[in-house]
Amino acid sequence: MDIFYFLIFPGFLFAALVGLVFTWVDRKVTARLQWRVGPPFLQPFYDFGKLLSKEITVPKQGERISFLLAPFLGLLATALVATILGFSIVFPARGFIGDLIVVLYLLIIPSLAIIIGGFAAANPLSSIGASREMKMIMAYELPFILAILVPVIKSDYSVNINLIMLSQQQHGATAGSLSGFIAFIVCLLVVQAKLALPPFDIPEAETELMAGPCIEYSGGLLALFKLTRAMLLFLLPLFLVILFFGGISVSGWHLLAGILKIVLVLVIIVIIKNTNPRLRIDQALRFFWVNCTLLSILAILLAYLGL
Amino acid sequence: MINPLFYPILVPFIFGLMILWLPARWKETTALVASGLNLVICLALFTWLPLSFGCGSWSNQNLLTLDSLSGFILIFQAIFGVLAVVYSPACLAGKKGHTKEYYTYLLWTLAATAGAIFAAHLLLLLVFWNILGILLYLLVNLSPEEAAAASAKKTLIIIGGTDSLFILGLAVIFSLTGTLALGGGHIPLGTGLAYLAFFSLVSAALAKAGAFPFHTWLPEIAGPTAAPVLAFLPASLDKLVGIYFLFRICRDIFVPDFLGQTVLLAIGAATIIFAVMMALVQHNFKKLLAYHAVSQVGYMVLGIGIGTPLGFAGGLFHMLNNAIYKQGLFLVGGNVEKEAGSAEIDDLGGLGRRMRWSFFAFLILSLAISGIPPLNGFYSKWLVYLGLLEMGRSGHSLWVVWIAAAMFGSALTLASFMKLTHAIFLGIPNKALDRKKVREAPPSMVIPAVFLALLCVLFGVLAQQLPLRFFILPAVGSIQPAGLWLPGRAAFLIVVTLVLGVLIFGLGRLKKVRLTPTYIGGEEPDLADHRPTGSAFYETVREMGFISTIYRLAEEKLFDLYELGKEFTLTISAGLRKMHSGILPNYLSWVLVGLVILLWVLAV
Repeated sequence: MDIFYFLIFPGFLFAALVGLVFTWVDRKVTARLQWRVGPPFLQPFYDFGKLLSKEITVPKQGERISFLLAPFLGLLATALVATILGFSIVFPARGFIGDLIVVLYLLIIPSLAIIIGGFAAANPLSSIGASREMKMIMAYELPFILAILVPVIKSDYSVNINLIMLSQQQHGATAGSLSGFIAFIVCLLVVQAKLALPPFDIPEAETELMAGPCIEYSGGLLALFKLTRAMLLFLLPLFLVILFFGGISVSGWHLLAGILKIVLVLVIIVIIKNTNPRLRIDQALRFFWVNCTLLSILAILLAYLGL
Repeated sequence: MINPLFYPILVPFIFGLMILWLPARWKETTALVASGLNLVICLALFTWLPLSFGCGSWSNQNLLTLDSLSGFILIFQAIFGVLAVVYSPACLAGKKGHTKEYYTYLLWTLAATAGAIFAAHLLLLLVFWNILGILLYLLVNLSPEEAAAASAKKTLIIIGGTDSLFILGLAVIFSLTGTLALGGGHIPLGTGLAYLAFFSLVSAALAKAGAFPFHTWLPEIAGPTAAPVLAFLPASLDKLVGIYFLFRICRDIFVPDFLGQTVLLAIGAATIIFAVMMALVQHNFKKLLAYHAVSQVGYMVLGIGIGTPLGFAGGLFHMLNNAIYKQGLFLVGGNVEKEAGSAEIDDLGGLGRRMRWSFFAFLILSLAISGIPPLNGFYSKWLVYLGLLEMGRSGHSLWVVWIAAAMFGSALTLASFMKLTHAIFLGIPNKALDRKKVREAPPSMVIPAVFLALLCVLFGVLAQQLPLRFFILPAVGSIQPAGLWLPGRAAFLIVVTLVLGVLIFGLGRLKKVRLTPTYIGGEEPDLADHRPTGSAFYETVREMGFISTIYRLAEEKLFDLYELGKEFTLTISAGLRKMHSGILPNYLSWVLVGLVILLWVLAV
């Protein structure tokens, strides 16, 4: 049964399908913002299928095994995140204490997979890109942890995703309070960076590094990386909605409202993506370590005051 | 009939003496037999728990005891002893420091460790504690490298200095309670004397474990000392003994209050962050690993500082986990240094294809130390986080700072190990290294490292079924809350689906990949000339505003108590030297001044 949950619903397959649909939303909104028509609904699926059918090439000097396995590693960790988040909504009894921390750590693995893959490619550009990806993790992790402590404090110190959701359904969404709103803004920016979208697309900075860590990837392996990214495009907004907007409850209209919340967060992310130029890595580091961290500390202090 | 508790002390000690007498060519075999025998004895003792020994006027009081806490430490120190003896011959072959004494000291270290964790009387503990300090000095001093003597001296002074605090603490404890038996009385903190005793003992424990601000000996000895020594003592046994003692201090000798706890937690958090920031910018991988050996102590101190069973369990489990992966990392480091001939990361690269097993072990060990689930490092950190959260719920508001430092520290740890993975095993080798045709280290060096890596997986995936159940929980009592995470299920799912995924994806397709040269700007560049090694990866961090100032001060050794003390002593002795001019009238006038002061004091 576990395998079914993990592979089909709410794990891998479900998250993958929704994720690909979400990339369509991303592309469509982007297109509209640029006065284009945008792709048809099934375009992400065509793209994925086409990539899968292409030949896989591997750089001659690279470390082959890590290069081949890294995309799988990221994909599976993402599927695990999907399962845990899904459980907390669909089967709350199956959650466990501290699952929030587990999810936080699992969310590092997709980036880690990209880093290992980029390092293994033995290409100077991918090495630099991967090292930037690592620096981004260092940068956003501090404000991210601090900001996530706000919903934890608000829900009477529980690190159980389901309890955080329930507490909001009783006392109102975290983002409704001042501290929660500030923490949400910080988390939104962190999610932007986790997805490597502008203004934080520093690791794959097209004009400098081509595709950064993914430069040597092709065919099916690249498709896996893209799929992971697509799943995260769904899961990270879902995670934010769970933490700050009272999550989703699976009954009638509530479900629809929940989906709307996720899509709304996604659209904000897409708008930020389309209206900001790329930062330099040192600017991003300073931005997260100084501005965002101070904001999160402020949010925590406010949360202690009950605001 | 000798009390069985004497065997783990006497057996290694006597074999150690024998090695000195026997011909040099038998040293490895004798040491192997001794450590193997020791392991068997320790396993047997573990099944006979609890044991105790008292004699003479002490017959109504224990001198040596073995309880569930010292029991599991005993087993692991014996295992680590075997690994060190197996690993050393191939690693040190042909080196100058590879003498009979080396194996004697190794075995004696095992004996002294056993003595220290058995000791039920604080004076006895002090004796074994000092012997351990001296053995570390001797082992570091065996290294033929030039810097070894100076760093060994520094180690001896820092550890010896805190040992004198240890004695001071004992004196105060005796004056407060009238006994030095371990667990003879729980002294409540609150009075000045109690604080003095508490912090004296804590600083001895922290210096041994290598925590901030007594950590500076560890990175210093990392350069010149041989990898197996680093793996055996500072990375594992010193941690086991130091944290064991810290745990005893906080649970069995004192009752820490808010201030005591907060100081411990602050030391823990500061250790994590400062040491890992230093590790980020190191260019020598042994030094880098040494800074991580410091940083990891922070999690253990945090766990023990929390002071609840959950925190204790996290701290002790992390102590065990750290001993496993840190030892493994030093051993892999030893393999690389032996085969590639350098510990500077600029000289290395691309070894993953040539040293597959070492790379495999290294990757697992470094993910474990970075706390990636489902490996063991994650589980123990996670227990510490839960302990901190519990603390927050009960009204401590500073928990936010500790938990943020701990979680951020693990992201920085990951960063520093990714840099190392790139610089040593991935990336591109330089021309000299490429010509060298490096090969995998001999099996006696690879197997211990791979064994430790697998132990990391096992203790992570089956954390509750194995280590917690048999070793940690018996020592700390049951922990709330129930319903902990079972990483076994997640790990099982990942492995099954990874296999499935690779099969569905098509093994054939993965095997039939086309190898292509690397192009940059449409040309095939000379990669060895354009390779980023990794040493400059985190320069952005080093150059950032206020952080660059801290780095500069740290490099001027402004945070090094040893250097500060040295500066202080030298300044004073420079003043005294000026008085020592060799002119008779000057000396006479000093005598006169002294006489006047004396008379004045006596008259008043």
